[in-house]
Amino acid sequence: MMRRALALLAAALPLALGLSVAAEEQRPELVQSDISMREISIQSNFTGVEIVLFGSIDFTKAPSPDDGAYDVIMVIRGPNRPLVVRRKERIAGLWMNGASKTFPSVPGFYAVLASRPFRAIAPEETLEPLGIGFANLDFGKTTEVEVTDDAFRESLIRLQQERRLFQESDDAISFIGRSLFRSSVDLPVNVPIGRYTTQVFLFRDGKLLSRSQSSLQVHKVGFERVVYMLAYRHPLTYGLLAVLIAMSAGLLGWTAFRRE
Amino acid sequence: MLQVYLPVAEISVNLLVMLGLGTAIGFLSGMFGVGGGFLLTPLLIFSGIPPAVAVATGANQIVASSVSGALAQWRRGNIDFRMGFVLSIGGVAGAFAGVLLVGLLNRLGHADVFISLVYVMFLGVIGSLMLAESLRAVWRTRAGKVATTRKPGEHTWIHKLPFKMRFQRSRLYISAMPPLILGVIVGLLASVLGAGGGFIVVPAMIYLLRMPTHIVIGTSLFQIIFVTAVTTVLYATMDRSLDVVLAFLLVIGAVIGGQFGANAGQRLKGEQLRFLLAFIVLAVAIRLLIGLLVPPADLYSLGPMVVGP
Repeated sequence: MMRRALALLAAALPLALGLSVAAEEQRPELVQSDISMREISIQSNFTGVEIVLFGSIDFTKAPSPDDGAYDVIMVIRGPNRPLVVRRKERIAGLWMNGASKTFPSVPGFYAVLASRPFRAIAPEETLEPLGIGFANLDFGKTTEVEVTDDAFRESLIRLQQERRLFQESDDAISFIGRSLFRSSVDLPVNVPIGRYTTQVFLFRDGKLLSRSQSSLQVHKVGFERVVYMLAYRHPLTYGLLAVLIAMSAGLLGWTAFRRE
Repeated sequence: MLQVYLPVAEISVNLLVMLGLGTAIGFLSGMFGVGGGFLLTPLLIFSGIPPAVAVATGANQIVASSVSGALAQWRRGNIDFRMGFVLSIGGVAGAFAGVLLVGLLNRLGHADVFISLVYVMFLGVIGSLMLAESLRAVWRTRAGKVATTRKPGEHTWIHKLPFKMRFQRSRLYISAMPPLILGVIVGLLASVLGAGGGFIVVPAMIYLLRMPTHIVIGTSLFQIIFVTAVTTVLYATMDRSLDVVLAFLLVIGAVIGGQFGANAGQRLKGEQLRFLLAFIVLAVAIRLLIGLLVPPADLYSLGPMVVGP
């Protein structure tokens, strides 16, 4: 009885293994990814944070770790918000804000990370609808019609880059073995709070094979959260509290140092 | 090192720099017996705080310094409460108008230039007047002459206006209109500049209302509490530009600095003090003017889209 069962197993095993190998070769590649932190807390000592993004390629057909057949691009986006770009002009000898352009939905944070220069990974027609690269970002319909030149858009991107809120980084993703890859991105001190999404795109020969998405939450905690909530949700309480604190400080200063 | 994130200004500042700034302003205000707000707001702007936040937070800081100042004056019986309340009624109305104006200009992107321009005008005029006056006083003392004082009981057009009120402490029986209007002007200035406006109200009370000099400082400090408190609450609710963390750092510095300043001030002569203050006021005005005239390094700037209240 036992022997029969073993013999059956011995006959079936190679068959099953062979089938699964064949299936692996036929199934399309799948990319999986995750972030080192699902929640980022901003406290009063917050000076920015580095987050690690990692992932793997399932059903990889790469024969060796150094094969380089696959390309990965990661996009990290912060919550959208409207921004105004203003240009200073000389009016009556004084430099003041003149023409302006409002962009209704600018990502509060935007970073592109790639395993090699991303323009070499896929053609522009593929990258554009995916919103990969500063040039392919959609800031929504602008309201002002009189300003037609692109100087405002370029300045917006340049200023956001200077604040480290927009980042483009080639050769930022490294492969570990045949299917594992990782990268890291710096969130600067001035990152807006809200929900961030990270998208991971897997390419081969300029074609998008698979994509994966995850999200993280940036929020204020502790004292920072109390102050922020008060200032934006209960501004009257916040204002009155500020006056009360100042008055008590004045009273305290007077009693502590009075010379009478 | 010791960076503190300002939750409303949304920037990170150095804790020691802001404490130092508060101490320096406290020192100057203790030394010269002025509120110091008219120096604090420009210095905050120079150190990279957005002008709207600098104004709102400056007003908050002055609440603290005027409370301790007014308490000291109250102990000496130097406050005319009736006059103070009349000034405050006008002041609150003026503050309301000022906050609305700054809010509107902020949405249009012109608040920075407007605040700087008003500062250049006021600091320029007051600094020049003080400089001239202190130089004359120095020259007079050298020549051996005694400074002339005003004649008591002098009547001007102010005394012919209707709605007369008796201000016992000031020994005045005058119309309520001049203090009310003066209050409105001070409230307007205080809210636009983030300053107490003592540098306007003190000379106006002495020369226009003919109040006794020893009552003027206390009464001015008393009404500044109301005006800056209302300004603080209005900026918090209408503009969301008040940063309580920044205000707190400045207040701590100011309370400490004020005590050292008062001691230092006692070692200097009156006209020397006025000359020094005039010099500082003019230097700040010139620095602000340069900022308006010199082509900016970057023509473009980014700002959040501010939605109306």
